[in-house]
Amino acid sequence: MGPAKADLLQGTLDMLILKIVGRNPLHGYAISQRIGQISRALLQVPQGSLYPALHRLENAGLLAATWTETESGRAAKVYRLTRTGRRRLEQEVADWRRLSEAIGLILQTSE
Amino acid sequence: MRWLMRWLRRNRLERELDSELRFHVEEESRRLEGDGIAPGEARRLALASFGGLDPIKEQARDARGTRWVNDLWQDVRYGARLLARSPGFTLAAVLSLAIGIGANAAMFSVADGLLLRSLPVDRPGDLVFLNRAGLDEESMRFSHPAFLRLQAAVPEARVAARSSLSRLQLSRGSGPAEIVVGELVSGEFFDVIGVGAAAGRILSLADTRELGGAPVVVLSHSYWMRQLGGDPNAVGRPIRINGLPVSVVGVAAKGFSGMTVGNPVDAWLPATLQHDLGYGGNASMDDADPLKPWVPQDGIAWLTVVVRKPSPASAPGFTARVTAWHRAEVEKQAALSEAADTRAYRLRERLELVPASRGLSPLRDTFTDPLQVLLVTTALVLLIGCANLASLLLARGNARRRELALRLSLGASRGRLVRQLLTESLLLACLGGAVGLAGARWGGRALLIMGATGSTPIPLDLPFDWQFVGFTLAVSVVTGLAFGLAPALRLSRPDLVEAVKSGGRVTGAIERPSRLPLGKALVVVQVTLALALLVGAVLFLRTFRNLLAVETGLDRDHVLTVRFDPRLAGISMDQWPALNERLLEQARLMPGIRTAAVSQMTAMGGGARTTTGVAIEGRPIRQGPEGELREDFVGPDYFETLGMPLTRGRGFRAQDTAKTPKVAVVNETMARKFFGDADPIGKHFGYEMPPDVEIVGVVRDARIDGLRQRVPAIAYRLMNQYPIQLASTLYVRVAGSPAAAKASLVQAVAAAEPNLAVREVVTVAELAERTVARERLVSQLTATFGLLAVGVACLGLYATVSYSVAQRRNEIGVRLALGASPGSVRWLVLRETLLLIGIGVVAGLVLVIPSFTFLSTLLYGLSPRDPATLGAAALGLLALGVVASLVPAWRASRVDPVTALRAE
Repeated sequence: MGPAKADLLQGTLDMLILKIVGRNPLHGYAISQRIGQISRALLQVPQGSLYPALHRLENAGLLAATWTETESGRAAKVYRLTRTGRRRLEQEVADWRRLSEAIGLILQTSE
Repeated sequence: MRWLMRWLRRNRLERELDSELRFHVEEESRRLEGDGIAPGEARRLALASFGGLDPIKEQARDARGTRWVNDLWQDVRYGARLLARSPGFTLAAVLSLAIGIGANAAMFSVADGLLLRSLPVDRPGDLVFLNRAGLDEESMRFSHPAFLRLQAAVPEARVAARSSLSRLQLSRGSGPAEIVVGELVSGEFFDVIGVGAAAGRILSLADTRELGGAPVVVLSHSYWMRQLGGDPNAVGRPIRINGLPVSVVGVAAKGFSGMTVGNPVDAWLPATLQHDLGYGGNASMDDADPLKPWVPQDGIAWLTVVVRKPSPASAPGFTARVTAWHRAEVEKQAALSEAADTRAYRLRERLELVPASRGLSPLRDTFTDPLQVLLVTTALVLLIGCANLASLLLARGNARRRELALRLSLGASRGRLVRQLLTESLLLACLGGAVGLAGARWGGRALLIMGATGSTPIPLDLPFDWQFVGFTLAVSVVTGLAFGLAPALRLSRPDLVEAVKSGGRVTGAIERPSRLPLGKALVVVQVTLALALLVGAVLFLRTFRNLLAVETGLDRDHVLTVRFDPRLAGISMDQWPALNERLLEQARLMPGIRTAAVSQMTAMGGGARTTTGVAIEGRPIRQGPEGELREDFVGPDYFETLGMPLTRGRGFRAQDTAKTPKVAVVNETMARKFFGDADPIGKHFGYEMPPDVEIVGVVRDARIDGLRQRVPAIAYRLMNQYPIQLASTLYVRVAGSPAAAKASLVQAVAAAEPNLAVREVVTVAELAERTVARERLVSQLTATFGLLAVGVACLGLYATVSYSVAQRRNEIGVRLALGASPGSVRWLVLRETLLLIGIGVVAGLVLVIPSFTFLSTLLYGLSPRDPATLGAAALGLLALGVVASLVPAWRASRVDPVTALRAE
């Protein structure tokens, strides 16, 4: 076993996905690879919850998907961030910053 | 609505989900293979990292948010299959719902058309009528000069005037003349109310600039479509109205048929044509000459005023200015009177602004009360239907106990089961609603026919619009919930799991003896409501019968009437006496005739000519109702023809002519009102000083205005002494059947004057019955609904008792095996029925009937708590209930003890 990994906080998976897709459009597998890179280092991201989350975000209009051909010539569903998605991401990042700052402050003062 | 798209595209989404996940697995295996793992193992690992594909798919489907649609769709299909499996039950349920929902929807469409709907004009909320209140009788009529003065007094408001509706004779080149409904309006009328033209133009100020003026007419869209087939060339075509050549200048906007709801206008003409058309609609006259043009006369009030109010912000003090104008008018009128008390009486008049958004409607006044009664009736019918269906569903649900219990024990949530059962109820309700919707269209029209006073239905538009459909849908959904909820909650109770263990045998898992059983409570409710409806129906039927049996003081069964209007046929006034003579002559040639007479008003016809402030010899002149006298102009044989005996003095004689002193016969009410116990014979009355009409006889009182109306004080003057008075009714008294004489009367009129259009030939009895048309409507409908309600309640009783017998089969078997007689078993069942009905009847008598006092104004000759009616209804219901339970009782006594016990 590697170093102890933190469980993903409720709702933060959505933010992660939005963040990853926000950089450039990706298909599901690529997203899982990116999350995998992060999770190997720090976080425990359950593979199984990725696709339901993608579909949820798509239905909420935060992500849009198109079927495109990959370099290997196969059809893949590629997700990209919509305008509402970008606004949501910015808001969630801001919220997250405020929250973590506040918690950090509490942890500092109570030490 | 995105969920709907997603649901409709669910198959494609499913395929895409598949290939997306496959792509992931394949990419992952390829990566693992690249790391040197064997292909089979790589694929296994790739799948394992997901922890299984199916849960992911399931979650992805949930993420679509269309799961409930799936469930609903599943429930609907399941429910439909269940209903299709028992077509008898489904048919009965759908039919009873269709009757209940359809009746309510039909009532709604009529009530909506009559009571709620705004006129199809521009911003109807800003329009007001001016009403003259404060006197004994309200009036909305003003003279044309007063209307012009109002326009000058409130230049900031838009003011228009319109006459009362009148029948006009319209002829278009060839073909017979038709009778149409016309309205005379001021030039700005259409502009003020904001109604445009569908073709040509509407009337404008230029059309009413001068008296007479160019004769033009605007037709209604409905007339244009109906009679001219929407021909665009109709505009500009010359037609004749009341003999006057006029040109059609346009057609009013579609849907607009005047401001009187239930009396659509076919033609609008400029008010300035009043004289040229010989228009003689409703008017109040005071020191005026009706034979001269009405427009310049201050003494003829014949126009209703419509005002478009300015916004309070733009015109402060508007109401005050209108009131000031009215005050000045009243004071000017009052100053004309010589008597001080007359002046004081006139000064009591005050002005009211009446909202005009829904138009005027005499129909509304007549039918508001009956419609409310009928709305309550149909609501009760639907309520009974709901209770009935609930009890049927409950009994039927017992057959499904195993299925439901199994699903509960397999982990279905109770909410899910309730949802499924409710879906089934809603499905039934919506089916019933759809059938009811079609029935309501038909029912609404039937209502207009039944409520009509004549042979033509009430002319009311019943549009098929979203309000009507929405109402029906809403009623259906509420109905479905109402009858479905209680059984759904009861049947999905978790303790039903017991039912699985007991293997579906009847053990009383549903009906706990300790509780008031739901099914029986529902039967009691049905009986209670059915009693209320039955009592209502009997009350209204007896009211109608009482009214028909009223002593009218006329020989109504043997007198035929025919109404005509020589003005419409273009017959000039100097020809009227000769026309009357020809009519009487021809009538007297009819077979079986006794006597014939003409008169101005028609008995039971609704027309009235009332004067107040009549001068009576030896009495002071009185204003208001105390000085009010009705009058009619009648031919010599009038009293003999109508069967009204003289009680004092003499009738008219051939010697009474235009050259001899004026004579009159008065009725008993008139004699009592003005002379008390004194003898009126030889006294004079009239409208000039000194009074010039001598009373020569007193005739017995007759209900001349209708079966419910009081007898007015009336003076009959001799038509032969007043050649300019119009005769519009011919009465014929026949010896044999009046029905057979109808055709020969039509021939007689045609022989006398071929141009004279005859509206209809009816007996006085038929006219009398029309005066109670709304009572007829209410009694027929409440009787129909009352019978339906009783039928439905009996059905519910039958179903519940049958179910209870089936449930107690074991017990009954034991009783029979132990030697109980079949008779005692039958009594056991009957006793239960009698108890249920008894409770229902008592509840009805105690809880519902006391609220019936609101019916008092609609009843005649009996009280809403008439003991005979209540007793008959209660006994009738009891008897019918017993009949309904005879079959289950007989079945109970035929239970075979051996079979029943073996099943234990």
